[in-house]
Amino acid sequence: MTAVEPPVGAPTLQLPEKPKPSLFMAGLWAVVIVFTVLCARRVGFSFAGIIEDLQRPNPVLDGLYNTRWGEMFSERSRRAFIETLQLAVMGTAAGVLVALPFALSTTRVGNPYPIPRVILRSISNVIRAIPDLLWAGLFVLGVGIGALPGLLALFFFSLAVMVKLTADTLDGIDMGPVEAAEAAGASHAQMLRTAVVPQILPAFSSYALYDFELNLRASAVLGLVGAGGIGNRLDFFRNRGQWDKLWGLVFMFFLVVMIVEWVSVRIRRKLV
Amino acid sequence: MIRFEQATVTYPGGVTAMREVDLEIGDGEFVVIVGLSGAGKSTLIRAINGLVPLTSGKLDVNGYDVPSLSRKGRRALRAEVGMIFQGFNLVDRTTVLNNVLMGRLHTTPTWRTLIAKYRDDDIQIAARALDRVGILDRAYVRASNLSGGQRQRVGIARALAQEPNIILADEPVASLDPPTSHVVMKYLQQICRELGITTIVNLHFLDLATQYADRIIGLRDGRLVFDGPGSDADEQTFRDIYGRSLTADDTMHKQAAL
Amino acid sequence: MSATDTRPETRLELPSKARDTLRTILSTVFVVLLGWSLITVEIKWSRLIEAPADMYRLFKVMFGDLPWDRTGEMAGLMWDSIAMAWIGTLIAAVFAIPMSFLAAENLVGRPIAWVTRQIFNILRAVPEVILALLFIPVFGLSPMAGVLAIGVGSIGSLGKLFYEIIENIQREPIEAADAVGASGVQRMRWGVLPQVAPELTSFLLYRFEINIRASSVLGIVGAGGIGGSLADAIRFKEYGQAGLALIVVIVGTIAVDTISGAVRRRIVAGPKGLAIPDEADIIVPMV
Repeated sequence: MTAVEPPVGAPTLQLPEKPKPSLFMAGLWAVVIVFTVLCARRVGFSFAGIIEDLQRPNPVLDGLYNTRWGEMFSERSRRAFIETLQLAVMGTAAGVLVALPFALSTTRVGNPYPIPRVILRSISNVIRAIPDLLWAGLFVLGVGIGALPGLLALFFFSLAVMVKLTADTLDGIDMGPVEAAEAAGASHAQMLRTAVVPQILPAFSSYALYDFELNLRASAVLGLVGAGGIGNRLDFFRNRGQWDKLWGLVFMFFLVVMIVEWVSVRIRRKLV
Repeated sequence: MIRFEQATVTYPGGVTAMREVDLEIGDGEFVVIVGLSGAGKSTLIRAINGLVPLTSGKLDVNGYDVPSLSRKGRRALRAEVGMIFQGFNLVDRTTVLNNVLMGRLHTTPTWRTLIAKYRDDDIQIAARALDRVGILDRAYVRASNLSGGQRQRVGIARALAQEPNIILADEPVASLDPPTSHVVMKYLQQICRELGITTIVNLHFLDLATQYADRIIGLRDGRLVFDGPGSDADEQTFRDIYGRSLTADDTMHKQAAL
Repeated sequence: MSATDTRPETRLELPSKARDTLRTILSTVFVVLLGWSLITVEIKWSRLIEAPADMYRLFKVMFGDLPWDRTGEMAGLMWDSIAMAWIGTLIAAVFAIPMSFLAAENLVGRPIAWVTRQIFNILRAVPEVILALLFIPVFGLSPMAGVLAIGVGSIGSLGKLFYEIIENIQREPIEAADAVGASGVQRMRWGVLPQVAPELTSFLLYRFEINIRASSVLGIVGAGGIGGSLADAIRFKEYGQAGLALIVVIVGTIAVDTISGAVRRRIVAGPKGLAIPDEADIIVPMV
């Protein structure tokens, strides 16, 4: 591409001063790059290492080629699967039930008292900072192994997910009906039920389905710390090196999750 | 009966929206309040049912001493005062009937509200209110599927369902076109005359004011500057109230003709 | 008090109410599922009643005697987890961004987009912990297994978020790029990228926040990070250690959330400030 030549005798043009790139963005990029390098070193990241590892003979991959599809139908695995499903359903139900009042109590429209509101919001933040498997570990330590700690863990995990999403939606509602309810002489509870809840119900239902999907995935691994579900079986197979059976279980799990998601997506479209 | 005595409202930001207003409105009157935006119309109307508290002065509504009311007292007062809004303030996602039933909340126990199982009598009252504004057949239609005029009629029905003795209307027709505005104003007038409900309406279209008001109250900068029968108000009156000459925007039909 | 109606006291007939079939079916299905679960699950419900007391006792032991001298060590492990999450997220982005272009119907047409989306769905379906389980025999008991587990696990999620943004962009800059004869790649670079860069970054950071939670626990299966310390504590009943690890995880996660959240807001809003694309915006339209 040839540059455009100025006509002979024309004065050279002065471009306006180029605006300086935002200091903030420049600083941010610097921080990001430094951070990334530090992290990479901390983790021992190396391409060569990865390739090398992949080329070595590999029980996991062997197990993949010989996947025991029959594992899906073994008695114990089936029961573990059902337990996984049940925990997901119950955990979601319990979490969703408590999440609505909890979320309301962390917002201005639901809770006119600032101090309790801040306290509840902080509790909600702490709950959100604890991963699902950690909750499970805690409950296993506290109440022993089995399905109960799994249920409790999923309950708190659901709270974490639902309260934040619902509170954010609540912050964006139309206050008009709220004023109308107050002007009609409604009590606080009545106002919430008639002017607020109907506004967020579609979004809330959508979040509940999303929560169920997450819980299904989570309940599959809770067994790794002894909290029920197929996680137990996964750990069992892993310890014995039975990768073929493990893959069988994993694929079955895949299938269930994909089906649930397919159904859930369709339902959520109709809800909103 | 509504009586303001030296009533003043100053908002937390420092703005004084109502200054030393003395005003008495008797039962069954149809009063229209006019004034520029920010003149205090909205504040005055919201002071009557306690949505906006007085900074000083006295206010007596239906025997309630409004400034000294507790929360329960305010709820009891609001049960007797229905309100209609410029933006309709309906719950769009639910049915017309559910919206109107909001007017029965003050006598409905909380447990019934929570499971949405209203008493049969209350449903009948709501139905009658809907019938009075001519949209009973739309009872189970989702509120968002109605036209603007229909939605305001639902708003009126909701206020009526309270069986109030005062109705406050804050710019009820500002979002509606001229023919629909007349329909709504006619309903308000009819309700006032047939049921004896004291009706107070904020309007910013002056031709509507003169057409429907028995009594016009003019506010300017938070002060009461005019109080007289609708027939007494002419262009000069409005110019005094507004403090400027009138434009096409001040009358509905001239604005529509633009 | 009330305005008595002058009409005769007739009962008014309300119009018939439409049945909401979808919602009724859903509710019934859900109630049945719930009922069945409650009845057949193998839980001794008496344990549930004892649970609050049990947990209280546990917390007393965990937080009663914290081994503060190990804080440095724990912080280091948390740092490992954060690093794992960050590199993992970046790796995912490196793959997800180009792949998401291949999943956007407004860029590549339906068949290719469909295939790419299915790949995303499969990747999204697997929890990172299971991936870590599978990677450890390959990469050893090291953070690398964790990094790759997070990386692979996030490709699906990020990809989905990304292609949805891409599909929502405006046509004009793309048309302009086409009009000056830009090639396929150039069109992406000049027509698409500037519009989506802020939102992509925002979602990347959002994913990073989620991945912190995953990386904190991957150690439980041996993939490095603070999870390992927790697993040991649980196994050997070192309650104080577990308590301290828990505190470190909470503090670290909240810190990352706060910083990441602030950066996200700033990037998307610019110095002026707009609405944040938040979980609420992401999740509900995710249909």
